[in-house]
Amino acid sequence: MNKYEKAAAAAVGLMALAAGAIFFYAPTDALQHDVQRIFYLHVSSAIAAYGCFAVVLVGGAIYLRNGSLVADRFARAGALVGLVFTTVTLIMGMLWAKPIWGTFWAWDARLTSTLVLWIIYAGYLLVRRLAEPGRQAARFAAVVGIFGFIDVPVVHFSVTWWRTQHPGPVIVNDALPPEMLATFLVTMACTLALAAVMIAIRYRLETLADGPVAERAEVVPAVKAREAEPVQ
Amino acid sequence: MSNTIAVALAVARKDLRAEWRTRELVPALAQFVVLALVIANFGFQIDSRNAPMIAPGVLWMALVFAGLVAFGRTFAAEREQASLEAMLMTPASPVAIFAGKALAASLLLVGCEAVLLPALTLFFGTPLSAPIIAAVLLATIGMAALGCLFAAMVARVRARELLLPVLTLPLWIPFIVAGGQAVQVAMGASGTYDQALALLIDFDILFVVLTSLAARFVLDE
Repeated sequence: MNKYEKAAAAAVGLMALAAGAIFFYAPTDALQHDVQRIFYLHVSSAIAAYGCFAVVLVGGAIYLRNGSLVADRFARAGALVGLVFTTVTLIMGMLWAKPIWGTFWAWDARLTSTLVLWIIYAGYLLVRRLAEPGRQAARFAAVVGIFGFIDVPVVHFSVTWWRTQHPGPVIVNDALPPEMLATFLVTMACTLALAAVMIAIRYRLETLADGPVAERAEVVPAVKAREAEPVQ
Repeated sequence: MSNTIAVALAVARKDLRAEWRTRELVPALAQFVVLALVIANFGFQIDSRNAPMIAPGVLWMALVFAGLVAFGRTFAAEREQASLEAMLMTPASPVAIFAGKALAASLLLVGCEAVLLPALTLFFGTPLSAPIIAAVLLATIGMAALGCLFAAMVARVRARELLLPVLTLPLWIPFIVAGGQAVQVAMGASGTYDQALALLIDFDILFVVLTSLAARFVLDE
């Protein structure tokens, strides 16, 4: 077993631990019954997705500054993993909404902005695929990643002011009993660890896909281009 | 600074003159938006009671897709002639070239709106008032900034017709949210018009600043 396989096995073990906490330790909700157990993974994967997209933002910004291939690979990995966690968030949310709200979807601020988030980063991956591989794809994707990250709070708040149905924050408002809070914190920690492992593995794959030749060919023009850019 | 503005105005003047001489884009867009209204007429059962509820949606749908075509064209024309490279080789700053192209494209879209808004009033019987025009024009500013940024990007990319809507539409949503709200209120829905208009102005400032910062990275490529 190499270190990636070990890390993946550890992440799976942690998720099994989280599942144990969710199904056997956490008490059943008085109003929503077992459906409430979706909450733990739903919110955790939303937070993991935000973290991944923050990696895309920071990676893209660093790439635009100094052409670092490492930053660009992290951005690539973050976008893909973040999209996976956004998908999980949306699907878990819809599964929860059907019994509780009576409908899979409502045009609520939180739901709309999460869907927009998903579409933006799907577009990010499309840019990566369609642009000229290398410097062009990296630069264009960095711009998309930065605009995408800014657009999400904008969409979120622009819709929030008019209609909202999604439950408000329960963690910061101290509305959870201690067992539920503990379950949530364990699930969140495990999910974040899973996201980190997934990014690490994806980073490794991107490194292998770039290849040793690409590395030499890419870094040099990017650095040269930076030096050639006029100082403003 | 004044040099940047002079270059931007020169680029905008060039684009508008090219459009004036060929008269391709605005007539085609005008036809497109009128067709969109005709299709909406068949898609919805429109009568005098529901028209004010449907018209804002039709207005923004038509405008958004006309905008995609307009902004896509501005850079596609440069690409076909390979003239963007020539412009970028001049000492003019890429930001100024971008600003000029965005300005020209937004004016062309305003030309298209000058057909769309009266046509909407004619076919749907909704009022054509200053608040509606103000909301549409304010949204045009930010939409042009974002649309031109991504049009410049996709002009260098395969399958550009596919990629432009995928990238641009999600980023236009803030403008549709606020602009949609403003037009709905102006056509009689409940809500606050001033708040929507203030939001549009905020988004305009935010995205004009951001796109001008990002333009260098996109055009340089």
